[in-house]
Amino acid sequence: MTGITPLSPAAHRGLRYDRHAAGGTRRFARIGLSEIAVAAADMPLCLAKDGQTGRFNLIALMSLVEPANLFVFGGGFQATYVPRAVMLGGFRLDARGAAGLAVDPADPGLGEAGEPLFAQEQPTPLAHDIARALERLVADVEAAQALVDAWAAHGLIRPLRLSLSKADGGAHDLAGLYTVDEAAVQALPDADLIALHRADRLGPAAVLTASLAQVERLRQLHNARFAPALTGYSLD
Amino acid sequence: MGETEVRRVVVVGGGSAGWIAACRLAAQARRIGSGVQVTLVESRNVPTVGVGEGTWPTMRNTLAKIGITETDFIRSCDAAFKQGARFVGWTDGTAQDGYYHPLNPPAGATEIDLAPHWLHRAAETGSFADWVDYQAMLCDAGLGPKTIVMPEYAGHANYAYHLDAGKFAVLLREHGVGTLGIDHVLGDVVRPQMSDHGDIVHLELADGRTVAGDLFVDCTGFAARLIGGVYQVPFRRCGDVLFADRAMALQVPYEDEDSPITCHTVSTAQEAGWIWDIGLWTRRGVGHVYSSAHTSDDAAEAALRAYVGPAAKGLSARRITIDAGHRTRFWQNNCVAVGLSAGFIEPLEASALMLIEASMDAIADRLPRTRAAMDVMARQFNATFTHHWMRIIEFLKLHYVLTRRTDSDFWRDNVASSSIPDGLAERLELWRHHSPGPQDFDHAREVFSWPSYQYVLHGMGFDSRQPRIDAAAPDTALAQRFVTRMARAKDDLRTRAPRHRDLLRAIREHGLQRV
Repeated sequence: MTGITPLSPAAHRGLRYDRHAAGGTRRFARIGLSEIAVAAADMPLCLAKDGQTGRFNLIALMSLVEPANLFVFGGGFQATYVPRAVMLGGFRLDARGAAGLAVDPADPGLGEAGEPLFAQEQPTPLAHDIARALERLVADVEAAQALVDAWAAHGLIRPLRLSLSKADGGAHDLAGLYTVDEAAVQALPDADLIALHRADRLGPAAVLTASLAQVERLRQLHNARFAPALTGYSLD
Repeated sequence: MGETEVRRVVVVGGGSAGWIAACRLAAQARRIGSGVQVTLVESRNVPTVGVGEGTWPTMRNTLAKIGITETDFIRSCDAAFKQGARFVGWTDGTAQDGYYHPLNPPAGATEIDLAPHWLHRAAETGSFADWVDYQAMLCDAGLGPKTIVMPEYAGHANYAYHLDAGKFAVLLREHGVGTLGIDHVLGDVVRPQMSDHGDIVHLELADGRTVAGDLFVDCTGFAARLIGGVYQVPFRRCGDVLFADRAMALQVPYEDEDSPITCHTVSTAQEAGWIWDIGLWTRRGVGHVYSSAHTSDDAAEAALRAYVGPAAKGLSARRITIDAGHRTRFWQNNCVAVGLSAGFIEPLEASALMLIEASMDAIADRLPRTRAAMDVMARQFNATFTHHWMRIIEFLKLHYVLTRRTDSDFWRDNVASSSIPDGLAERLELWRHHSPGPQDFDHAREVFSWPSYQYVLHGMGFDSRQPRIDAAAPDTALAQRFVTRMARAKDDLRTRAPRHRDLLRAIREHGLQRV
């Protein structure tokens, strides 16, 4: 994070963006409200606390054991959907930078390959498109945050214990994950239930819990690339 | 009378005790659906004492039972975290004289007693509290007992609170009336109407109204309007053991809004008493507890102002009289005393709010269903709390009797054998041969358990003649494993635990999550 600097032709004249290389080391990504349904087609969605605020963030899980994105191999992102935060992980909004951007040069999506961010000292249309996409993503993540805050305010979040069994006899527990508490949803007073339904807070909750089936997909992806294999998992 | 159901509980008094009592009763009634109605009668003309700005960890459980979130509590009461107490100058009064009584038990407390192992290696291991636990480090470094990502009422170290007692009563009142359905009656109690059996039937108010009840909880503070005024239950003084009978308090502002907030109570010995120093979010609470037989009010105030320094200039000191002791019975007929009406002693170990909570655990969680059951409850309650008071007095005295100070009559008089309770003297002799353990006490549930005694005894360098440890014995290896594991946790927390003020700021800004 400390390497993030405003985008400038002086410092980043030759910098290029390779969308296929983006997110290779991302273990999870925050997602926006509009991404819930599409991301759930590939990834388990769950909640994790922000280290600075303690608030729950909505995330898509892309790793289990190894510090690698299990969807990134074979020269690209092997999923039907790539979370926007993964695609745009090398960029931040920064009014001081060219096209209103800052960049993290350490991100694998930025380097000498891919499409240029500058042409003749001026930001390319791509750079402007990225800035607009980032603005949409920020708004979308804020909308997701309002959804999650509503769940938290109604006591609808519970810890999620994800325990993985390894072929060598070991186990690996993923700590700090949370999910929607289905029992708490069912126990909601009628008035709260209707109000949440009308506000479209319950549909995404069902998608979230259903998406946990994608842990099996992550397990398969892990076993295709890493050893020891994961022989099973439990969710509690 | 016997089968009369207990349906109406009347709490008299609107300070911390009254509102804790009413909220616990009302919350429990809601939880189990008993239908018991709780009324709190409060006079506009009686100011609350507002003592008790330090809690025990039990307060977390009490707040959770009442249904107040930790976030609301911290925001509303200017609360800060408390991880124990540091006693400065109690042993010999030298510049380096200080020890911790942390809230964490020693490492491995359920499996092994580390005290003899520490005694065996005391010369190389430093202070007892620092060798057996990491909380003294957290206190020294000003680090909090939890992080912002931890759920409400959970921490990486055991913790209690420092709070603004006046704001606490307001929070409880708003929650009690607004959420728990407590009937709040403003009025001055004039007299009770008594039954033939000596029970209180109802209370007559100055404006002519009456408030009827099946059980009355006397939270009228030092006035003890019911347990003392109506039932004339004798008061057992303990001024011959604990000499402090006066206190004066200052509210000291911080130098600036980013000043560190001490994460423990600092109790500094003085010539004729001691000074408490606690950190809240907005200010410090500093007070001098002293014996009027050993110093004058003016000298005590001068000592307090000297301790605070230039920040004391222009601040007015609030004076409190301490009539140290407790009732010989707390529950009489259908009246039970909770809080200052039951008793009060110097706040050396923050026992005032804890005793209110413990009383309400016994009353609210086991509220007698009928009047007949009440007499059995009363006998049990009186026996239990008579024991608790005796033990609290003994434990507070422990802090004084181990002193080696001889620089004033106060400290010399405190070690006179005539001032030491027999039970404490007997156990002190026992503890010369082994460290305090759970079997050294009569009751399974003591308010101060054996780790507390160990922290004070070994913190004050109690002369122990315990046999030497066999370095090859299995327990020696087990002790080392616990100490090593604890040391790793200490190193981890030293880098990971947040600064106390930063933690409070984050909680005030973002709130804590329930899970």
